[in-house]
Order: sequence, then C-alpha cells, then structure tokens
Amino acid sequence: MRRLLHVELTRLRWRRAVLLLLLAVVALPVVFGVARAWSTTPPSAEDLARVDQQVAEETARPYVQKQLERCLAKPQRFGLAADDPDLQAQCESFVLPQREWFLYYETLDLVQERDETGLAVVALVSVLLLLAGTTLVGHDWNSGSMSNQLLFETRRTRVWTAKALVVFAVSLVLSLVVFSSYWLALWAAARSRDLPSSTGILVDCLQDGLRGALVAAGAALGGYALTMLFRSTVATLGVLFAVAVAGGALIAVLGIDAQFQPQTNIAAVVLDGADYYVQVPDECFTDRPPPGIACDEEKVLPAANGSIYVGSFLLLAGAASVLSFRRRDVP
Amino acid sequence: MNDLVIETTGLHKEFRSRRGGLRVAVQGLDLAVPRGGVHGFLGPNGSGKTTTIRMLLGLARASKGSMELFGHPVPQSLPAVIDRVGAVVESPKFSPNFSGRQNLVLLARTIGAPTGRVDAAIETVGLTGRDRDRFKSYSLGMKQRLAIAATLLKDPELLILDEPTNGLDPAGIREIRDTIRDLGERGVTVLLSSHILAEVQQVCTSATIIGNGRLLASGRVDELLQGGPAVVRVEAPDPAAARSVLEGAGFAVSPAASDEPDLLVEADSPAEVTRVLGEAGIWLTALTPVRRDLESVFLELTEADTLGHEHVAHPTSGGAA
Repeated sequence: MRRLLHVELTRLRWRRAVLLLLLAVVALPVVFGVARAWSTTPPSAEDLARVDQQVAEETARPYVQKQLERCLAKPQRFGLAADDPDLQAQCESFVLPQREWFLYYETLDLVQERDETGLAVVALVSVLLLLAGTTLVGHDWNSGSMSNQLLFETRRTRVWTAKALVVFAVSLVLSLVVFSSYWLALWAAARSRDLPSSTGILVDCLQDGLRGALVAAGAALGGYALTMLFRSTVATLGVLFAVAVAGGALIAVLGIDAQFQPQTNIAAVVLDGADYYVQVPDECFTDRPPPGIACDEEKVLPAANGSIYVGSFLLLAGAASVLSFRRRDVP
Repeated sequence: MNDLVIETTGLHKEFRSRRGGLRVAVQGLDLAVPRGGVHGFLGPNGSGKTTTIRMLLGLARASKGSMELFGHPVPQSLPAVIDRVGAVVESPKFSPNFSGRQNLVLLARTIGAPTGRVDAAIETVGLTGRDRDRFKSYSLGMKQRLAIAATLLKDPELLILDEPTNGLDPAGIREIRDTIRDLGERGVTVLLSSHILAEVQQVCTSATIIGNGRLLASGRVDELLQGGPAVVRVEAPDPAAARSVLEGAGFAVSPAASDEPDLLVEADSPAEVTRVLGEAGIWLTALTPVRRDLESVFLELTEADTLGHEHVAHPTSGGAA
C-alpha cells in the first residue's frame, strides 16, 4: 500500500493542472488576506492631519457656526434637551464636522472576519480542491491510463483507496496550512494595530481553520469519488452544478427547512454552528401569540448536525464510487 | 502438471446495451495456450478477441465460465500472477502530458521494479533519446513501442499483445515482429492477437481462430495449414480446354486470378491431374503444389462460421484443427 501511495503522490506532483489548482489554493487566500489587511489599515498620521485640517476648515464656515448657534439656542429642534448640562458638547458633536465624516475605514475585527471572509475563504479553497480531486483522476479516465494502471495493480479497492488517501491527505494538510496561516496573519495584523486580539479569539479562528480544512479535504475527496463513479471530470462538474442549482431551488420550492440547505450545513461545520431562519405561524405576529407556539424565527444548526449531513453525502458518494469501480468493466 | 499458461472454459461475456438488449461478445470459449512460443489469437473484427483478453486481465468481468493463468483461477488470483504477465490491450494508454519515461517510472514503482529496469526497457524498444518527451508528442509507432516497454518492466513470463502493429509503418511492423520473435525465443510465452495473418504465420508457433465469440480452430500453425484439400496450380497452353477436361473428370477447378490463365485444381494426387490431361492430349507447361496459408484457413473458417456452418474445433495445446 505504501508503494501505491508513493506512486499516487508522484502522479499528483507531476500533474501540472493539479499543481496549478494547488497553487491557487495557496495564492488566493493570500490575496484575500492581504486585501483584508490592506482595506482595514488604520489611517496614517498624515491622513489624520489632512482630515483634521479639513474638519477645521469646515468648522470655520459661517453656516456651520450658525447651525451651532441654532442648536444651542433651540436644542429641542435638534432632538436635544434644553436643560442638558453637556449641551455645548452635544451640539458640537451633532452639528460640527467630525473626523469620521471625512475618513471612513473598517476596523479589522476577527470575530466578524470569522463569519464573513473566513467562511468565504473556506468555500473558495473547497471548490479549488474539489476541482483538483476531480482533475487528478478525471485525467486517468480520459486518457485511458486507468486500465494500464490496473494491469500493474489489479486490486481495485487498493487502487481506489490509495488515490483517495492521497487526495484527502494532501488537501487536508494544504488547507490546514493555508487556513492557519490566514488566521495567524490576520491575528498578527490586529495585534499590531492594538485591536482586540486575545488568544481566545485566535484559538476560535484556528479551530474554524481546522474544521474548514476538514470540509475542504472532504470536498476534494467527494470530487474524486464522484469522478471515479462517473469516470469523467465534465460529468462530475455537471452533476455537482445541477445539484447545487436545482437542489437548492427544489428545497426552497418545496418549503423544506433551511437546515437542509447544503450551505447552511457546511457553515455549521466550519463555524461550529450556524444560524438559519424558519417560517413561524401567522399567530406569532399578533399582539398576544397563543402559548405553546414556537415563534422564534432564528434557529441554530449545531456543528454535529452539519457534520452528519455532509458526512452522509460523502459516505454515499464514496460507497457508490468504490462499488462501481470494483464491479464495472474498465475501458 | 498443467502446462497451459492460459486456459478458459466455457467463457461467456454479454454486454447490456443502453436500450436494454443483450449483445453476446464471447460465447462458451475454450481457449488453451501452451507454455512457450508465440501463440496467434485470430478472429475478424468484433469476434471477441479483445474482450477475451480484457477478461483474462481483470479489466472486464466474465458473465460465465472459468479462466486460469498459470493454473491459477482468475480474476480471483490475478494479484498473485499479474506480475508475471505483460499486456498491451488495444491502443497504448498512457498519460499524454507525462513523458514516456515518467509513465514507465510510475508503472515500475507500482510493482516495485528498480529504475534500472525502466532504462533497460526504453533501450530494448529503441526509445532512448525520446524517452523524456511527452507521450502526446510520440508517433503511433513510438507509442506502441512504449507500450511494449511497459510490459517488459515486469520481466514477464507471458506477454499478451493485442494488435501491437496497428498503425505502424512497414519498418515498425518488422521491428515489433522481431521483438516478439526474440521474446518467444527467450522463453516468454506470447499471445499475439492480430489481423495481419502473414505476420502471425511468420512469428507464431500455434494459433487459435475464433469467430462470433466461439472457438473455430486451434493448434500448431503447420498443422492448421495441413487441413483442407490439397491444391495444385496448373499451367497449360489452352487453359479453357484444360479446365473443361478436368471438370469433366470431377476435379474442382478455379482460375488462379481473374487476370491469369493458370488454374487452381483441388487434387489429392497431382499425378492424377497429369494423367487426365495427358489422356486428353493436353500437355502441362507447369504443375505446382499450392501451399495453404493462414489467411486462406482463416477465411475458410470465418466465412463458413458467418454462414452458420458447423466446425469441429480441437482446442488442444498441440493438436491440429
């Protein structure tokens, strides 16, 4: 088995299309991370000085001063209380130009990043690894070299397993490195900016990365298994596309709970639970909803449920793939 | 001890078409290939040769029947014997973007063969200097040679070659033929499936002929050629008169070719032909025995099979059909 694993690893290393996809798995999150760090860069001292000058110029304008006088004279028109002891400061903050009006920038918030860009990076890497898994073995079928391989190793389950292990292991290690690097880099950036960056947040992010890596490696394995089943990269991608489009639409049309949407379940795995929304009875919108009716529209899908959902599909695809490969004639 | 390297009994293969119908590719085939020498495996297109080979190698499942390689039942014991079998099935199938050497290295590593064997195989088939080029840049002849190189990685006792000279130029055909003959002389048993009957006749010591998935004949090539009526070529000054006299005497006569005056006469005794013509006052210019070739045997058997005639087949390891 070790010999076969070595062979499959070499095959993967020599396949240029697969290497390009793996390169993209590394490069795109780097681009993503750099873009996030860049777009959340705090303003420089020069920027602040320029803005302060702009604020001073605006503040000095007569109509602004007139507004301030009006606010002090008739604060209730500005929604302020006349007897507010801090009226001067209130009116100034209300009427006078502020820094933020001229200088908008996002703060790097790791908690927010987990829900947004973190999930997007996992999705992106998963798609790329799925393509890598399907490309690697699709080429074997397309070129007909699978039959040649089976003339040298006839135990088909071994061949299937060796290829699957290589696809899964390479995807897992690579995505784990990529996600960990991504979160460590963002955490370091937040820390260097004196933003909230406790070790606890970092651990949460790294755990997301670990779960994300499992999802990405599972996607690669799923792509591989389906291609071994359909014996064509194009057929696999076609089926996945159809399932993604038609499956989601079908679930929505049939009014099935959002907890059965694939993306909800994947998010639940990666984020250790995901929110989803359910329809509640119309009675919930009356002044006094009848007791005993669940009126909470927002639900949480636990990671365990998501894992069972995703794992079931993977198991199904894997079992069908192995059985088919063992039994069907190889062209 | 069973000295057959390949033996199939009642081998049967059915394909289910997409419309739900059944197509029988191989029906009750009993194939026996003795150890040593080059064994031809002949049959018209679609007669089931490749399907039989693919079943023997585990690429296709038999619907019924049993198969043995080196006395081991396959596909069950295929892992135990596959290292002794080299095979080229149909066209050479390698990764087009890998070099010839890379393709061989992957296969060699699969069986734990040393890298030196890759070099030796490349040298044996004459691909040195082109081995680092991509497979897709190879000519058909080079692809065939690479496929043969792959079979040599195992240092096989049995070599199964399915149409190995397909698409080759005359020089390439000759090279492959010499390689096959050389392997046969070195003690490797070669099962050669080919359409080129002259080629088979030149290199094979024994042959099996199949048609419509059934065995038509099997045995040593020289014994296969001995079957059927003896034929002599008759040259006479007046072929029309000679033909009339011979037919009158009960001989089966046909023209040697449409543009030749010579006659082909089925006769067990050439002296009888001379006597009949002499008595009619026709003096022969030449009388030559016509040696049957494999092509005529093959055509007789397969054409008769197509017409639904019955044949007595002798699937033996050495007997004539």
